[in-house]
Amino acid sequence: MKKIAFLHPPPLYVEIGQGSLKALQENDGVELPLERLPDGRLTAPCREKLTVALKRFLKTKSWQPRARAVCAIGARGVSLRRLSLPAGTKEEFQQRLLLQIEGEFPLPPDELAWGWQQLGETKPLNGMMARQDLLVAAVKKEVVADYHEILRACGTDPVFTLAALARRNLCPQPPDSFAMLDIGNSQSELTLFEKGVPASSRIIFWGGENLSDATKDKLDELTQSINGNLAGRKLFITGQKISEAFTARLASALGNGCQCERLEVAAGGAVAQASRRCLSEAPVSSQSGNSPAGRLCHYECSAAISGLQKFTEQGGEPPLLLRLEQTSGAAASFADLDWKKWGTRIGSLVAALVLLPYAEALLLKPHLAKKVAAFKAEVVRLKVIDRELDFLRYLKSSQPPYLDTLYIFSKSVPPGTKFDALSLNSHGEVSLRCAFHDGQQVADFRTKLIDSGFFTNVTVEEQVPTPDHQRVSVRISAQEKPTAQLLALAVGPTADEIARDGKPAQPGAMPPGISRPAPGVLPAPRKETK
Amino acid sequence: MRPLTDRENRIVRFAVAGVVIYLALFYGGRLLAKKRSDYRQLAAEAQTLRRQIQPFQDKVLVVKKLMDDFHMDPAKLKKETVVSDASAAIQQAAKAGGLQLGPIRESPSHGSGNALATVQLEGSGPVPAVLTFLASLNRIGFPVVVDSAQFTSDKSRPGQVKLNLTIIILDFEQTKSPEAPHA
Repeated sequence: MKKIAFLHPPPLYVEIGQGSLKALQENDGVELPLERLPDGRLTAPCREKLTVALKRFLKTKSWQPRARAVCAIGARGVSLRRLSLPAGTKEEFQQRLLLQIEGEFPLPPDELAWGWQQLGETKPLNGMMARQDLLVAAVKKEVVADYHEILRACGTDPVFTLAALARRNLCPQPPDSFAMLDIGNSQSELTLFEKGVPASSRIIFWGGENLSDATKDKLDELTQSINGNLAGRKLFITGQKISEAFTARLASALGNGCQCERLEVAAGGAVAQASRRCLSEAPVSSQSGNSPAGRLCHYECSAAISGLQKFTEQGGEPPLLLRLEQTSGAAASFADLDWKKWGTRIGSLVAALVLLPYAEALLLKPHLAKKVAAFKAEVVRLKVIDRELDFLRYLKSSQPPYLDTLYIFSKSVPPGTKFDALSLNSHGEVSLRCAFHDGQQVADFRTKLIDSGFFTNVTVEEQVPTPDHQRVSVRISAQEKPTAQLLALAVGPTADEIARDGKPAQPGAMPPGISRPAPGVLPAPRKETK
Repeated sequence: MRPLTDRENRIVRFAVAGVVIYLALFYGGRLLAKKRSDYRQLAAEAQTLRRQIQPFQDKVLVVKKLMDDFHMDPAKLKKETVVSDASAAIQQAAKAGGLQLGPIRESPSHGSGNALATVQLEGSGPVPAVLTFLASLNRIGFPVVVDSAQFTSDKSRPGQVKLNLTIIILDFEQTKSPEAPHA
């Protein structure tokens, strides 16, 4: 998963040498002088100043997680051993490794910062057990603990490896056996590699200041220090201000078939352009402790830092990490919890939880008051809406169903019936005077009206034959059912009838289901579909 | 009076700070609690009003539908002119349908009841025109109810129907409780 950039600070690369500490974060670099005690540990004032200077350099945000600090330490005090252990379970392996370390190194494992790298595995042969070949590097714990403490205090999460391994990472295609010489200002570091891993590493007290003007005697001094180990090997040279001419002179001076090659450090443009804040020009121990901070000057990145950067770019970690405590990561991280910081965070959260209701009251009250005022204004309008609704409902329920009544009549009346008068009123009273052909038609008509379900009662008040006995004059009265019951009735033309009639009614045309009546007849009967 | 020592000065400063903090917490807390109580009361009131208003969303929809059906907005009706306007609209609807109008009598309502006035109208025309006129009466844009209708055949003119209508113009300000006329 891609990390969110601003939540994760960029890694810090650190090279801790004998006389100085170099750090690089993104394009910003810093070089700080170190002062050591005779046993190699940093002096107390140096530790303090280093912490202050690094804090100032890193500008760590309190809300950000700790930046990872990948540190390369010099060869001074570092012991390297090749070990071969019988294969076994993880616990067994760990126990055997601790025993081996106790046997091989002058100090017990508890007093060492140590790490191991697997070199290979020997398969079981002729009844022998399978074995694992390891490279173990160890250094006095206090030395690394000092660095660890300083870097933790600066808000980083440090891991340590050997500077020689970091530098080796810069070699494009190293042969199996070769050597690396890192030339510093006052001393140099020679590391011999066998099968790609460091076999031995030592400090040579030979500084590389004014290399271009190095006299033959000085060069001979270096040659004598390193010559014995380099016959026929390739020697990679790193360090500041190393020229091709110096490399050629050294190769010539060695004269044992050793090929010298200068390693280009500034492989990355960013590194080459990195700037340095000279936080202190003089050594920390000197009187000019309050030297100008933050001054920018040209910064030439070291080979070790470039190598560490390359590890990160390759998406991995250095193959050999020196650990102070050989414990599980979870336990270590729990032990390393910054209680003060977390306490502050928890306290802030609790305070926010307690104060939030009050803050809500203070902040949201004006907004809520506005809303309530708006609601109250709406409530006044609600009365108007209620009144209008009541009125419109009353109006709707007051509409007598005259057209429905006429539709029922048109559906029920036999053909040839003559209507003289029809009266309807809003109380649902209907009276009708008409002439039928005979009494049977009257009875049928009455039955149909009752069957329609529209009327509560239908009364034939008077039925009188005409003087010519051709017709029967009838006076009928009926009472419509209450409106609520009428609404439940599906009065009106059915879908089939509308479809049969075709087009929808035009203005001035008969309503659906009522056909045009014969002259003088009100309304025209329709053919019964029962 | 002897000058206070540094320790005493510090104690006095701490004491003053403590008292100030106590007073700030005490009175500030009470003030905050009162503000919170007011806010909660206001929130409850808003909630009640909201609940009161919520059902009206449906009512508004019904009112809109009914207003569309009747082509009428009760808020725009004026009591002073509604009778004359409604009468004119009735006559207009009758003429538009092809109905020949006869005598029209208007009688104002006296006192109680929901009616503003009653209009008695006579006319004659073919059956379709009569039915169309009846159908269009509830869409003329005024609160009218046909109280009674009488249809008689016009013997002098075959195919024509005489119509005698009694129309009530409702008083929209007095009408409160709906009650069907013959419920």
